[in-house]
Amino acid sequence: MIAIHVPDPLRVYCDGADELRVEAATVQAALTQLQQRYPAVYKNVCDETGTVRRHINLFINSALVRRPEGLQLPLSEGDTLLILPAVSGG
Amino acid sequence: MADRVVLCIGTKKGLFVAESAKSRRTFSLRGPFGPGVAVYSALIDTRGTPRLYASSCNPFFGMKLLVSKDLGRKFKETKSAPTFPEGDGRAVANFWSLEPGNGKKEIWCGVEPAALFHSGDGGETWDMVPGISNHPHARQWQPGNGGLCLHTIVRSGNRMHLGISTGGHYLSEDGGQSFVPANTGVGAGFTPDPYPEFGQCVHKIVAPAAAPGRMYMQNHGGWAEWDGPGGRRPEIGVLRSDDYGHTWRSIAKGLPSDFGFPIAVHPHDPDTVYVVPLEPMTRTCPDGKPAVWRSENGGASWGRLAKGFPKRDSYFTVQRDALSVDELKTPALYLGTTTGQLWIGREGGEAWDCLFDSLPPIHCVKVAVA
Repeated sequence: MIAIHVPDPLRVYCDGADELRVEAATVQAALTQLQQRYPAVYKNVCDETGTVRRHINLFINSALVRRPEGLQLPLSEGDTLLILPAVSGG
Repeated sequence: MADRVVLCIGTKKGLFVAESAKSRRTFSLRGPFGPGVAVYSALIDTRGTPRLYASSCNPFFGMKLLVSKDLGRKFKETKSAPTFPEGDGRAVANFWSLEPGNGKKEIWCGVEPAALFHSGDGGETWDMVPGISNHPHARQWQPGNGGLCLHTIVRSGNRMHLGISTGGHYLSEDGGQSFVPANTGVGAGFTPDPYPEFGQCVHKIVAPAAAPGRMYMQNHGGWAEWDGPGGRRPEIGVLRSDDYGHTWRSIAKGLPSDFGFPIAVHPHDPDTVYVVPLEPMTRTCPDGKPAVWRSENGGASWGRLAKGFPKRDSYFTVQRDALSVDELKTPALYLGTTTGQLWIGREGGEAWDCLFDSLPPIHCVKVAVA
């Protein structure tokens, strides 16, 4: 089981939960689980082509997931996959 | 009873709603709604209980559509927003136009990349309209500076006109089932062929309800000095059609520039039309002197409306959806600038006052009596 950390702006799409637990062996598998079980959260993270949105960063614990190759990185029991908005704007 | 003038002001930092009595002497302001997120399109749907809609295209979390059922005091997300179907390969990047349909809860939405969506339930669920979204030309359209956007939807009965930048003007006469390019007389300065079948950079199209068949277009002008293949292309920027958009002719003679973004028509007089000429290189007010130009004879001649605007040193841009006209007996115009000013042109544009001086950059302004 891994934990997906939900950033504050997206908690409205999962009844206020700050963490979601899924079974997933890779980052991509975790996103697929998110799509199936929490589609309203998923739509905020990935667009309709399945691409992680440009201004969203994913981290495995504290390590940034580079895209797209990083989506195949393995996840281990107890890992946390963090969804964080990137620093951008103006 | 409809006794309030309501404005939706879409800005770089969210939606503002302004409200006034019909006198339009003073307006109160509330917002921003969808704070921090750009709003490029809005709709004040006055069929039945008024509803306000606004796009909220969030660069972090994607595309949302906001709706208010209390004249813009509270907004919430609709259950879903336009998205391309699975396997299409495109992803929606912005909502550029929202227009009511024939049915009471019917709404149309034009998006970037250029495609059309339809809702039959007040914006809660959406379907892509394949007749234009999968048109054989669709993968040949090119993005303009604002992106490849379907920014204009003009409807009357089963007739539907779409403005696409850069795709040109497309016409459906079967309620949106099928579309054909209708660009005869619509020029392009950026293609070797000065009058291509499609691919023009149409900026805005309007149609006066009181004159069926009449239409006005602000096209991408500013090509008078062009010396590339096909030669100079003066006065292709402001156009008129009298046959439901099948053919177009220039009405730009007499304007200081045929470049601009918005175009608006008087709600009761189809011969009265308004444009905001901009200097084509900077896309700002010519010589720093803002003015709206009005024709009262269908484009045969033009007059300058500048009373109340700064007389010099003012270099703003007015974007394609940032000019609206209300429908009161003596209508007022509303003009939003990229420098965050919201102007009212009282008495049909005879005298201009700045209602709000320091909003975020304004993308769109919509008005209704509700």
